[in-house]
Amino acid sequence: MGRLYAKQVDIAYGDRIIVEQLSLTIPTGKITALVGANGSGKSTILKTLARIMKPKDGAVFLDGKAIHSQSTKEVAKQLAILPQNPTAPDGLTVSELVGYGRFPHQRGFGSLTQEDKRIIQWAIEVTGIVEFRDRPVEQLSGGQRQRAWIAMALAQQTDFLFLDEPTTFLDMAHQLEVLELLHKLNQEEQRTIVMVVHDLNHAARYAQHMIAIKKGKVVCEGAPDQVMTHDVLREVFGIEADIVADPRTGVPLCLPYGLAHASVERAHSHEKGA
Amino acid sequence: MKSMQAGTMEHRRKIRAAQVMAVLGALILAAFLISMNTGFIKLSPWDVMKTLVGAGTEKQELVLFDFRLPRIVLSVLVGAGLAVSGAILQGVSRNALADPGLLGISAGAGLAVILFISFYPMTEGAPVYLLPLCAFAGASLTAAVIYSLAFRKGQGVAPTRLILVGIAVSAGISAAMIVLTIKLNPEKFQFVSVWLAGSIWGANWHFVMALLPWLMILLPYVMVKARVLDILRLGEPLAIGLGTSTERERIRLLAAAVGLAGASVAVGGGIGFVGLIGPHLARRLVGPHHQYLIPASALAGGLLLIVADTLARWILQPSEIPVGIVVAIIGAPYFIYLLMKT
Repeated sequence: MGRLYAKQVDIAYGDRIIVEQLSLTIPTGKITALVGANGSGKSTILKTLARIMKPKDGAVFLDGKAIHSQSTKEVAKQLAILPQNPTAPDGLTVSELVGYGRFPHQRGFGSLTQEDKRIIQWAIEVTGIVEFRDRPVEQLSGGQRQRAWIAMALAQQTDFLFLDEPTTFLDMAHQLEVLELLHKLNQEEQRTIVMVVHDLNHAARYAQHMIAIKKGKVVCEGAPDQVMTHDVLREVFGIEADIVADPRTGVPLCLPYGLAHASVERAHSHEKGA
Repeated sequence: MKSMQAGTMEHRRKIRAAQVMAVLGALILAAFLISMNTGFIKLSPWDVMKTLVGAGTEKQELVLFDFRLPRIVLSVLVGAGLAVSGAILQGVSRNALADPGLLGISAGAGLAVILFISFYPMTEGAPVYLLPLCAFAGASLTAAVIYSLAFRKGQGVAPTRLILVGIAVSAGISAAMIVLTIKLNPEKFQFVSVWLAGSIWGANWHFVMALLPWLMILLPYVMVKARVLDILRLGEPLAIGLGTSTERERIRLLAAAVGLAGASVAVGGGIGFVGLIGPHLARRLVGPHHQYLIPASALAGGLLLIVADTLARWILQPSEIPVGIVVAIIGAPYFIYLLMKT
């Protein structure tokens, strides 16, 4: 059922162990949302699944083979990742940035083939940035820029798409724009999408699978209505919330009304960074 | 129609790069011609022409073929080597202020030269020819030390750490050099200070032949890696995500940068600024793609140094100033201008 899974993975920054003995499977063909508080390790887990970080122990498997021992170029044809706040060199235009997505498919000197150009064009159209194609990336607004980066990841033509907080710093319309795009890619092209998202209601609405993480451990995973419960939210985020059904779609919506008792104390004692 | 559209920007960049390179090439050629006429012994353009076709006097032939031409050719090659090295380092470290000094190349070469000079008597003959070898060894050794100090197991070399370690080690070496120079006798001291300021001091065809292979091997290699440099510029996570073995590519590219700068410094002395300004200038002219940036940097660096060397011979005739100082005099205002603009 899953082409990508982690088996007993330990992840550490230097000597500090962030994640211990993590095993999880990414359901193929679905949108999976990793949720958790700041510093819970969700971003670290995403990076390790996408082989950006090496686990200290254990392994991530893609199609049955350990991902870190495969040629990184071959993996790049299967899996694309968009990190948080990527930056483009000054003067690089949108279409050139999107063209970088073809890198894993190119060799040596060769310039872009007709096929490459067709795919770049498609990625630019599907993300709705045709009018900005010749503009320098740094001159775009946040939402446009994020779509340009997603277009680059799409040009990689991978079955798996990993995104680390793709909607952060965007206004509400742009957040929905990005999420609708991911939804469309998942529905129309059966791409497997894994993303870290902060907004639980977005996660519940757009993901078919949610993984709640606390201190590097999976607390709960499953369909949104299994994960979006009063108890899980209290355990993972330390908040008290009412869960109601979205009147339009029926997916669970969370309405936080207060901090759970234990976390009130924590918030008073110290504020932990991301 | 659509594929035409997709090609527009790429096409525009290509044309722009070709124009820029043609102009830079023409300027180098012009500087070359002027430089042949410049120097203590006057050679008019007509004399130069006559000598080139073999109709000059013996003295004119000696001046042109044995002194002036190798020096001019060498300045272009050294400038190109340093600028391409700087372009690589700026790409790999993702820092627009990186230059060959970052890897301790100038400092390491300088220290080696000072050590060599303090222990060898300054006599005619052999030892001077060992100087470039010495400088090259010092440069590569220092680069290796800095790289291994910046290396962390499991994480490799983070560009920021590389820069910080590079600055620290270079500062340490500079301090050691000052201590050593104090002990030198005046004659040696003068030689060392001219070397450190940068001067195409030993110009002869042997040096040209010693430097040329480095450029002929490493420039095409870096061109093959142009796209890898583009991708590395996006940062570690994206570069890995796009299928680059970042650690392996970084070490190869750094080795190429050390080879280019080490060989250039070995024959040109501690010429600063070219490795910083050459790529900067090139980037402003042709944009961020290394496919164009690398050759444009080579040409810009070559042009800068041939002009600087010509001026160095001309300004205070009959004496000369070290070319490195002229480069700094041209370079500093350009940098201040950049600073004011941004």
